[in-house]
Amino acid sequence: MQMYIIRSGLLYHIVPDTTTPAVAGIGTVPNGTHSVPERDLALRVVRDALEDASLELSTVDGLYMPAPRPWTPQGFFSTYLLHVLGLEVDRSLEVSTGGTSGGNAFHSAVSDIRDGTVETALVLAVERNSIVETTGPYFDYILKSFDAEFESPIGMTVPAAYAQSMQRYAYEYGIDRGDLADIVVKNRENGAANPNGLFDESPSRDDVLDARLIADPIRLFDCPAPCDGAAAILLTADDVDESSSPQIAVDGTGYHHTASHFLMSRETSITELPAVRRAANTATDRAGVSIADIDVFEPYAPFPHIEAIVTEELGLAERGRGVDACLEDHTAPDGPFPISPSGGCLGRGHPPMVTPLLNYVEAVKQLRGTASTQVPDAGRVLTTAEHGHVNGVTATVFATEV
Amino acid sequence: MEPYTRPFWESLRDGTVLIHACESCDERFFPPSPICPHCHSTDVDWAETTGRGTLYSFTRTHATATAFDDELVIGLVELADGPKLLAPIDASYDALEIGDDVRIEAAEYDVEHDRGWLEGYPFFAARPLD
Ligand SMILES: [Zn+2]
Repeated sequence: MQMYIIRSGLLYHIVPDTTTPAVAGIGTVPNGTHSVPERDLALRVVRDALEDASLELSTVDGLYMPAPRPWTPQGFFSTYLLHVLGLEVDRSLEVSTGGTSGGNAFHSAVSDIRDGTVETALVLAVERNSIVETTGPYFDYILKSFDAEFESPIGMTVPAAYAQSMQRYAYEYGIDRGDLADIVVKNRENGAANPNGLFDESPSRDDVLDARLIADPIRLFDCPAPCDGAAAILLTADDVDESSSPQIAVDGTGYHHTASHFLMSRETSITELPAVRRAANTATDRAGVSIADIDVFEPYAPFPHIEAIVTEELGLAERGRGVDACLEDHTAPDGPFPISPSGGCLGRGHPPMVTPLLNYVEAVKQLRGTASTQVPDAGRVLTTAEHGHVNGVTATVFATEV
Repeated sequence: MEPYTRPFWESLRDGTVLIHACESCDERFFPPSPICPHCHSTDVDWAETTGRGTLYSFTRTHATATAFDDELVIGLVELADGPKLLAPIDASYDALEIGDDVRIEAAEYDVEHDRGWLEGYPFFAARPLD
């Protein structure tokens, strides 16, 4: 049934009551190097998520995951896994949209629960980067994501794309390149406190600025370190309450893709990331809140200037002032708008297919009060994922149920 | 069916950089496409440029795919006629600044990278203008 109301002379479409999905359980392995097959990492996090949720595997009726990367030995992974698990489902999905794959898989699960297609969704991600040569084969694979005719023959890399937006950002706003290092240090310090993170220590600002060059002016610690990882999240319909863990609601989701591909944007500067703003607005609108109501931000920000620009796109800082937000400790765990208390992909290590789920897991931990760097009284968390040069973005709002 | 972009590469070989112009909204765009990305009109055609533009941003890689040199100087060029495109820069990294005048010109392609049907065609590079 369609319902409408008229308010202030405008016609509003009333979305009928739908189920709000809740996070019933989470499971992760630490980011690092894992010498077992992806299957074993997947089965471990699935088991842990079920245990965390006090749910039986047989209640799961949907499986959602990023498509494993091309170097994963096991192909057709979701079908294989359903057989191994002895599990029948009413929906299964492998998503391949780069860094948003985990976000889109999660959002598909959320949609299916909202409309009743599925009652208990298992969202899973697993990735091993330790088995791919980061010199040749990885770069060869990445090369294909650029324009195959006009850009790939140049020899482009992902850092070479982000390096150009960093260069332009510093130029347009007179940013001190050195100040960007403070964003790295903040995230590495948060990441070092995270027992599931890749690093035990944080480099100093000078370490960041003296590190080996990757793509000028981007240096080693400005890049998220590829590693192995896995995570599983169980989503249930709100009214299904078989869980022993406190439930966390997925209150809002949003997605936006601008008409751009890596650095190829038309009207907007490469120092603006409008997809972040649009996706976040959709997610907060759906949740019935504004950015000011969010207590913790866990964005997918793979380079320090991207975190600064995300801060600006969310309206937390003026254009060109995103770095200042970090320098003035506004983004610190005890600041007015904490960004990446988990360390984010810069501080925690980066299995790109898993990173969106690790952001969700951190959201859940913040709301349960069990995060490694806990923001006191966190009630709402906004996370993002992105792909390309932030051309497409998923945004997700988590909240404690009241 | 012919590859839509063949005229670009044929013309580049003869020394002229072609982009696309929309007859409907008057925008210039790149890469060439039979549908205008600004207004979605199909009333589009090839347009000659001088290849001149300015350096919008740039970088230097230190590692990339197997077939390439580790150090590549790459930049975004904003053509005087409108659109931006990514290009190899035929200059040393340290000599470059954003805003530098450059020109896109044909360049011999000698990398062992499979360009498919474009094998044998030149690629292009941006060269600084004094
Ligand atoms: Zn047009």
